[in-house]
Amino acid sequence: MTAPAEIARAVEHLGATVPAPIEHPFAGAAEVRWIAPRRLPEACRIVRDAGYFFESLTCVDRLAGHGAFELIYTFNRYEAPASSRVAWRVWSPAGESVPTLSGVFGAANWNEREAWELYGVTFAGHPNLTWLLLPEGTEWRPLLKTFTAPPASRYDDSQRVSPAHDDEPAHP
Amino acid sequence: MTNPPTPDALDTYTLNMGPQHPSTHGVLRMKLTLRGEEIVVAEPIIGYSHRAHEKMAENRTYAQFLPNTSRQDYLCGMIYNFAWVEAVEKMAGITVPERALVARVILAEFNRIASHLLWIGAFLLDLGAATPFLYAWDDREAILFLLESVTGSRLTYCTGRFGGLSKDLDADFPRRAREVVAKLKGRWNEYVRLIEDNVIFINRTKGVGVMSRDLCLSYGVTGPTLRGSGVPYDVRKAEPYGAYPRFAFDVVTREEGDVFARYMVRALEMQQSVRIIEQALEQLPEGPILNPDSIGVKKRLKLPVGTQYYAVESARGHYGILIVSEGAPEPYRAKFRTPSYPNLAVLADLMPGHMVADAVAVLGSVDLVMPEVDR
Repeated sequence: MTAPAEIARAVEHLGATVPAPIEHPFAGAAEVRWIAPRRLPEACRIVRDAGYFFESLTCVDRLAGHGAFELIYTFNRYEAPASSRVAWRVWSPAGESVPTLSGVFGAANWNEREAWELYGVTFAGHPNLTWLLLPEGTEWRPLLKTFTAPPASRYDDSQRVSPAHDDEPAHP
Repeated sequence: MTNPPTPDALDTYTLNMGPQHPSTHGVLRMKLTLRGEEIVVAEPIIGYSHRAHEKMAENRTYAQFLPNTSRQDYLCGMIYNFAWVEAVEKMAGITVPERALVARVILAEFNRIASHLLWIGAFLLDLGAATPFLYAWDDREAILFLLESVTGSRLTYCTGRFGGLSKDLDADFPRRAREVVAKLKGRWNEYVRLIEDNVIFINRTKGVGVMSRDLCLSYGVTGPTLRGSGVPYDVRKAEPYGAYPRFAFDVVTREEGDVFARYMVRALEMQQSVRIIEQALEQLPEGPILNPDSIGVKKRLKLPVGTQYYAVESARGHYGILIVSEGAPEPYRAKFRTPSYPNLAVLADLMPGHMVADAVAVLGSVDLVMPEVDR
């Protein structure tokens, strides 16, 4: 069993960590590190080989102030003790892609699709980067801070023929 | 995960299960590619009940978001409601009176039993057994009446407040709670006789949908679904929160990893929840139910700048809340890590190789709540 502190040391030894781009405290995890985007798969393989599972992926829109997305990956393990959560934070400037983790964790597949459709973050090498929660073909990114209201439906209902029962009074 | 294998188009066909199929428990569509009756590829298609709870959270104050919480998972809304409250309390440094801590455990465990009872009834109905459904519904009704008498709602509870509960447990509550507990304890043996010795049930569930520990690890499967594969992971033990550390209970596991094991874990887990409730009723302290210094729902609560991850054990597994605060009255970002989401994703790897008739048993056995997957 590898303790979170040992994992953090291994990742630092690998040279995958980077200095924090923003000062923003993180609570609720035993070890938190900023990881260089291109070294992310290596850093995550260390976590997986230590017997941790993929817990969550959170994307945070920091475009307005910093022109980048913050991705927070958390990992945990089934065995006690408490607080063995490890968090990798990744700083991804707008327009750049992040390597996919779908080859490392099965859980990454859906989580990355969700981050892509809601924020527009691309994951290089993802086998099936397509819509998960939103309708296929959705062109807007609803979780961006700049998002205001959904565009009008592209469905043209001017040609719609009212079914006969539309004219009948509603059921009491 | 690798790409799904591309089956030969000539000897396979596609079957859509859902989104309006009675055994999908909500709007889930399983796109099955079949060769004869054997599943070759299973692809869960979700998003039918996506309501953008995470976007709503960014546009509401912490208190205004309270009613949303129980609508993510309507079967154990109490646990989700308390999880949000506790995550905010943790970030804001609000202390909770002892009575409220213990009361939360009682209400949450009753809610967990109600959720498991509904699952047992609905799951056995999927397998063609109509009678257990009526027994389970009867027991669940007793719990819902009890919870309604405290919270005012039957399903989408909103009784948590930052610093306690909205309403105190009345003086008669322990007596009514013990009555419900006695009714539940009288039923365990009936469930065993009715269900677990049934040869049809055993044939349809034993050795079906075997989930290995490695598969669970790859997808981050949690909750009773994971414990059926022999892994004793329970957030109440792994990261103890609230008043849980002071109550004795066992983490129920089964080694087999099949549908029957997952059934047994939930059935036995209800007995552990009853054990917690009995201890909590004994220890329920007197005193205030709400921290008198806590800020009311009408005032704006501002959390310090930072990110906080907070996890609880819901009826379906590890429910995590990640709040990013920039010091405003609304969260800058709120992420909900719901347990059904990985528990459903794993089916794409689990289902191939099974018969199409087993798909219903496997799908039912992971206890999905679709609004929780879609959020």
